[in-house]
Amino acid sequence: MKHIVFLIVVFTLLLTACSPNKPPVNQPSTTSAPGVTDSPTIGGEFDINDWDNVLASAKGQTVNWYIWGGSDGINSFVDTVYGQALKEHYGITLNRVPLADTVDAVNQVLSEKQAGKDPGAVDLIWINGENFFTLKQADLLYRDWAQKLPNSKYVNWENPAINLDFGNPVDNMESPWSSAQFQFIYDSARLNEDELPRSYADLKNWACTHPGRFTYIAPGPGGFLGTRFVKGALYELSGGAEQWQKFEPATWEKWSPELWNYLNELKPCLWREGETYPKDESELVNLFANNEVDFSMTNDITGAGRWIADGRVPETARAFVFDHYMIGDFNYVAIPYNAPNKAAALVLANLLLEPEFQAAQILPENGFGLGYAIDVNRVRDEAAQSVLKAAAAKLGDAATPASDLARSLVGDAAAEYQNLIEQDWLEFVLQD
Amino acid sequence: MKYLTTSSLRLILYLILIAPFLLFVAYAFSTRWFFPHPFPIEWTVFTFQRVLDDTRTISSMAQGLWIALLVSVLSLILGFPAARVLGLRRFRGRHLVWMLFFLPTIIPPLAIGMGLNILFLQIGLAGTIPGVVLAHIIPTLPYTIFTLSSAFARFDENYEFQALALGASPIQTFFKVTLRLMAPSLVVAILFAFLISWSQYLLTLLIGGGQIITLPILLFSAASGGNPSTIATLSLLFIAPPVLVIVATARSLNRHGNEIREQY
Repeated sequence: MKHIVFLIVVFTLLLTACSPNKPPVNQPSTTSAPGVTDSPTIGGEFDINDWDNVLASAKGQTVNWYIWGGSDGINSFVDTVYGQALKEHYGITLNRVPLADTVDAVNQVLSEKQAGKDPGAVDLIWINGENFFTLKQADLLYRDWAQKLPNSKYVNWENPAINLDFGNPVDNMESPWSSAQFQFIYDSARLNEDELPRSYADLKNWACTHPGRFTYIAPGPGGFLGTRFVKGALYELSGGAEQWQKFEPATWEKWSPELWNYLNELKPCLWREGETYPKDESELVNLFANNEVDFSMTNDITGAGRWIADGRVPETARAFVFDHYMIGDFNYVAIPYNAPNKAAALVLANLLLEPEFQAAQILPENGFGLGYAIDVNRVRDEAAQSVLKAAAAKLGDAATPASDLARSLVGDAAAEYQNLIEQDWLEFVLQD
Repeated sequence: MKYLTTSSLRLILYLILIAPFLLFVAYAFSTRWFFPHPFPIEWTVFTFQRVLDDTRTISSMAQGLWIALLVSVLSLILGFPAARVLGLRRFRGRHLVWMLFFLPTIIPPLAIGMGLNILFLQIGLAGTIPGVVLAHIIPTLPYTIFTLSSAFARFDENYEFQALALGASPIQTFFKVTLRLMAPSLVVAILFAFLISWSQYLLTLLIGGGQIITLPILLFSAASGGNPSTIATLSLLFIAPPVLVIVATARSLNRHGNEIREQY
């Protein structure tokens, strides 16, 4: 009897695990030469070089935008601002598909590829870093489109922070939406501005004179702010950001012991003596709001603004940065190779770069909170320029002053360091 | 005195039952509730209103209810014959059949979902309501069969024979005798299937592929953001239908239970 049961279990597991390896049917050509678009699927043929043609073909389509759905502010901003504009100006319906994690959208596209399903379900994904890398590597992205958007002229494609996504060339397969820069949040009702630490060395002193009042997010999946915090420490200890832009094992061997040393010295001064760490931004925000620690972290240009608008932190919360090594980057939208409504996805990606909407996304009351993807100096239209200026002026007290942000801005490290930091941190800091 | 202790015990029990629910209400209708305040200071219906104003909330609930309804009826129809044979008959390989029916509760839904998604994508069921319903039947069927077969184990077939002997047609016998006697267990089986389907996240996400949005999908994506007000509001909406269904059926189950006792 036991044997039979065992056999059945094994057999069923095999059945569920085996996926048919049939050659995908209806697969679009992936050998498209530069300048030639992939064969468009349903929803009308269009010529991407003729924008009016794209607009005409997008009319009446529904764009299925797969987007992380954890922020009420972002959700309602997307639904109202972009949803209405798409409907009114372009006759496109926006279907925002809320995700608990962007990797769910990546898995959907991977499954569709495996099943040979074209057209698929996903038109546009809010993406960067590892998820982009996965889709690009598997050749599952619509190619050669980002710089053909009319509003792409506002994007500074020369900037390596834009044309490299975590060190991985964007290659015209994704278009930027917004930017982010690492910052800290404190509560002005609890701390004075002049008490704030302004470097990692300062921070260690502060933490050890206020034991248990500081912690950082565990580096790892979902904890990219924590990884970024650790990278900043690495930059400061090694005295520069440039050497980390390219992966160099020798550099890592040289400086990583100092990094673990710093973090282990910090450890006994942390919240719960560093035995445990918040796993994501949301957990750290809750610790901060409930007065268990004195600092939180954010990526928003509005600083604490979005969190205040969401009612997650006290209204006295403010953002600040160290004098150096505050890592910034861009995030993007990408179109899968089998997107059913590519024309509508292109129109939406273009709309995201419209100066007027770029201005709207940085306003704290709109709840989006992230920064510009465009280079505001490239906007020639005077009306648009004044809208952008007005928005920047309205960032409010909860944001870090623009000059502080600019002075401390550095680029992210090469993608290889991400895994190294996350794995070695587990070994040398958490378990040590 | 004795009355006082029992009633105070009762009160404590009720409190324990209702406390988590009260916590959800407190979070759903307040904002900026931070330590060290023991109770919320700012009450607001803002979050509740925003969640309800989002057309997707109501449509996801309607879609989830519709799917759960289809799933419970279908798994009842599928499970009933199997449960009857398993409950009433003894035959070689009966345990084997039991095992087969119970496998879905052992195998992780992720393994089922990933494989099934590829298959469903190929045959065009992925991203459709029929596809999601079929996928939900996998975890609900074992519970339906289990509930019904244990009821059938106590079922006396002689009632059916007597009805047939008295001249009732097989169809009449089925509807007027078998179903009536099984009614309380049928309700429980439906309830199980409904609850399991209503709270499915992973299978809906995988098979629905973002085109079928039910309340758990919204709830999980809100939970990933960690806003307690939104999570509490969606949770209240999430537990409302099951609670209503249980309240409604608990009464009828009691009534049926009494009737059956009287019959014996």
